Amino acid sequence: MKKVVLVDDDVDFCEATKLLLESKGFEVVLAYDGREGLEKIRDEQPDLVILDVMMPEMNGYDVCVVLKADPALKEIPTILLTAVDREMFQTHYTQHMGLMTEADDYIPKPVESAELVKRVENLLSKE
Amino acid sequence: MLVKPNILVVENDITILQKCRELLLDEGYRVRTAESVEEALNITQKHPGDVDIMLLSLELPGWAGMTIIETLQKARSEILIMTMSANCGEEAIEAMHAGAYDCIRKSFTTDRFWTKMNRAIEAFRLRHQLDILTRERQAALTRVHRDGQTLLSVLNSFTDALVVTDWQTNVVLFNVAASRLFNLNEEKAIGRPVSVLIESDELLSFFIRAMKSDGDLAKLMAGEEPVIKTGDKTVRVHVDPVKNKAGAIIGALALFHDVTRVDAMDHLRADFLSMVSHELKSPLSSLLMQISVVLDGLAGELSPKQTDMLGKAKEKTKGMITLVNDILDYRRLKEGKSIQKIEALNLAEVLQRTVELMGLSAEEKGIPITSEIAEGLPSFNGDRGGVEAIFVNLISNAIKYTPKGGNVNVSLNKEGKGIRLMVVDTGIGIPPEDIDQIFEKFYRIKTEQTRSISGSGLGLSIVKGIVEAHSGAVHVESEVGNGTTFIVSLPGTR
Repeated sequence: MKKVVLVDDDVDFCEATKLLLESKGFEVVLAYDGREGLEKIRDEQPDLVILDVMMPEMNGYDVCVVLKADPALKEIPTILLTAVDREMFQTHYTQHMGLMTEADDYIPKPVESAELVKRVENLLSKE
Repeated sequence: MLVKPNILVVENDITILQKCRELLLDEGYRVRTAESVEEALNITQKHPGDVDIMLLSLELPGWAGMTIIETLQKARSEILIMTMSANCGEEAIEAMHAGAYDCIRKSFTTDRFWTKMNRAIEAFRLRHQLDILTRERQAALTRVHRDGQTLLSVLNSFTDALVVTDWQTNVVLFNVAASRLFNLNEEKAIGRPVSVLIESDELLSFFIRAMKSDGDLAKLMAGEEPVIKTGDKTVRVHVDPVKNKAGAIIGALALFHDVTRVDAMDHLRADFLSMVSHELKSPLSSLLMQISVVLDGLAGELSPKQTDMLGKAKEKTKGMITLVNDILDYRRLKEGKSIQKIEALNLAEVLQRTVELMGLSAEEKGIPITSEIAEGLPSFNGDRGGVEAIFVNLISNAIKYTPKGGNVNVSLNKEGKGIRLMVVDTGIGIPPEDIDQIFEKFYRIKTEQTRSISGSGLGLSIVKGIVEAHSGAVHVESEVGNGTTFIVSLPGTR
């Protein structure tokens, strides 16, 4: 069973998404902020990571930077998921130059459940 | 009608006095008489209107030289003085030097009297005429001056700053608001080039364009009134040519509207909208995910009624998400930010991704999307987000307004040196009376069929805005009941 760590400070979103992914045969581990997310990723060694961008403690970009800099973790496919406006996202993106090429996918929120499942499966099948 | 002057005869010789009086009265003149200098002066003071011509004897008792003539000349220059003396000798010449008109010998005949008098009367009339003309001119000048003052007062009452230049862009006029805004004073500003006083190349270019325009500047400037900063103020500038009566451009005028507060508000609003977008989209994403999961039966089995109601709730949620996105896109458009970054774009790839993304919701609705992409499309430079917004809006509209069982076809083709995008649906179509307005913001077609379809009415105005920002054009063909085709023409890279 493939394991996914989902990091998002929106508890409701996490729980609903957990149900969705579990129904598709994934094991889902939840974390509610960036720091906790990083701990869970290290502990669980998941097959895929989904990161919200705007979170307390540590935002999704920073988590992604740490992940991709760690030889033990950098191969884990990572999806950035954000409700941040496109324009703001682009600003963030330029500030964190190069980040997007390192995250493996970017999905704007809100996302259709079927679309999310498709993107997750796509990334995992590439391995 | 000729003016008949009133005459005062000043003579202490009663015979001569009476003779003069009778001659004048016979011709219908109004005559007063005086027998001394004092009496004469008294009359001119008390009845100024009664004395136009004074027939003055130079041989009055107590005659004190030419004083009376000089005094009268000074005080009442309009009175014409005709002297009388026994022989019109030295003293008469002296009187004429002092301002008298002529001299009549006291031994006059009637003819002789009238010859001299008529000349005097004629002279008086000419002088009178001249007076009237002078007064009229004076009045006209006063009026012009007053009109100028009124105009200046009006200009100075403007809260907007106004600067007028001649055709060489030298300042010729400005109002109080302008002197405050740019710290101008007459000495410093008048006749100086406007570019020296207000440092803005953009503004200067508008002044120059105003001079060269054929009056179509309003069109020329549409949507690009420059906003310049001066000190701590932000002002929006509007420049127009100034024309003379013949229609030739003789200068330009600029109006500066203080938008400092608006500018600050805009920033606030932008921050607010970004915040709102995030704060609205986050809970909406949760809501959408929760509803989807429950709808899929992942949280337990649903009754058909529950499925139906949740399905509607999901549609409403998606409608709200679209609305939030539309408002954000629209704001970007208004701020001229619809183009963020121009880059070489592979339109085929962007379209395929969009179709893939939208395909899911289309399939849910039972409307297949097909796409045809021609080979060898011209290359295109544009903003990725903007182009995505064009595709998403047109395709989602097509899906929205096509009933189950219909289909949507999108295609990209070469069109001259450019690219043509077509989005064809088999939907309900657009009534002819609405077709001209569909690109207007907040315009939504209200019919029985569209009532249940939600939307902001912004989508197509966003499409139009972005297409035009890319120097393209969009138009629509539609037939009620048969479907609609949107055609977007985009220029290829030169």
